[in-house]
Amino acid sequence: MKLSYYPGCTLYTKAKPLNTSLHASFRAIGAELNELAHWYCCGTTFTLARDNRMSLIAPLRILAKAQGEDSMVLVPCSICYNTLKRANYILKQDPEVLDIINEHLEESYDGNEKVVHPLEFFRDNKELIKSKLKKNLNGIKLACYYGCLLLRPQKELQFDDPESPTIFEAFVNLIGATPVDFPLKVECCGSYLVVNSPDAAIEVVYKLLRNAQGNGAEAIVTSCPLCYYNLDALQNKIKKVHAEFKEIPIFYFSQILAIALGVEEKNLGLEQNKVSPVNILREYNLL
Amino acid sequence: MNKILEEKDFTRRIEEISDQKISDCYQCGRCTAGCPFAKFMDVPPNMVIRFIQLQLKDEVLAASGPWFCAACLVCQTRCPRGVDIPRLMEAVRVFHLRAKQGVIDVNNIDKEFMLDAPPLALMSAFSKYTY
Repeated sequence: MKLSYYPGCTLYTKAKPLNTSLHASFRAIGAELNELAHWYCCGTTFTLARDNRMSLIAPLRILAKAQGEDSMVLVPCSICYNTLKRANYILKQDPEVLDIINEHLEESYDGNEKVVHPLEFFRDNKELIKSKLKKNLNGIKLACYYGCLLLRPQKELQFDDPESPTIFEAFVNLIGATPVDFPLKVECCGSYLVVNSPDAAIEVVYKLLRNAQGNGAEAIVTSCPLCYYNLDALQNKIKKVHAEFKEIPIFYFSQILAIALGVEEKNLGLEQNKVSPVNILREYNLL
Repeated sequence: MNKILEEKDFTRRIEEISDQKISDCYQCGRCTAGCPFAKFMDVPPNMVIRFIQLQLKDEVLAASGPWFCAACLVCQTRCPRGVDIPRLMEAVRVFHLRAKQGVIDVNNIDKEFMLDAPPLALMSAFSKYTY
């Protein structure tokens, strides 16, 4: 099985572990991620100004390039997923926009490409995943952190319930870990405020991490490279403000999946985690 | 332009850029109640909207609220009137940016942070804070 794949810029730089562990996981279930031959930056955050159509060109150009046999493209980065899917939705609402954008593209786009997140793919291929599991995660307690961009706006993304989603917990359950209750799982991590207002980002991340820890989480799993960065890299700064704070490791969902599928350690990308997950993984006999 | 006309025009521009009808908001405050960043804002989301309704252009443009909005869309999900609040916050930001008033200077960002942060954090911030 070959699947069209759009990694996005960050998966080639700061989120390499997401890329390598995802490739390895798909290999382990007998599928291959077929990276688009030509791809560009999606433009990051989706523009909310209704009179700005220029920002639709980048995402739609990517989708035009992705048009092929399977008419779906797998997108693991939450920001790319959100941007591509929202751009696609606008075309469905306003076909006139498609005509305007097509005038600016090398090849015209028909508006029919489906943007799929790996968690959706896993949800739809439960039995396949289950049959390939090699390592028992022994019920390691994980807090599933959705963040914003997979869920909202729900009307456009149709990913899961925007206030109490369950797709991530079902995934974690499927691969043998235990999802803990995590009331703040859909609350924002501070996103790009980390650039301009780091103090605000530090406070919201502290609240999130404490909430996960208070509910017994031993690690947190997420899908978004920006959430990952804020949750992982800001812990150092949190410790300076809140002396009692204890670190908690952060994983990409693909790293946990890769472990369960028996992927070799070099493809997990664990060395890039700022808060080392080695101790907790050893405790559960997973390294 | 006469001040009253200018203020009226401002509210109309915000409605245009955001594609929202500002009178739809009945000020229940649910957006502010759920906003993770409201406590950092001098003027929280529902008040920004009230100021736009009242055509208080100067007050809207001086508010820090729109700059603390991370476009997480929690308020949009919860608004009982279906107002897309993040679009209104973006419209205020865009109003500044189109007048060539950005809020961050790339040269002032900590170099170590720049090298450490994922590109999408920087790109997102640049698209929201610079012109």
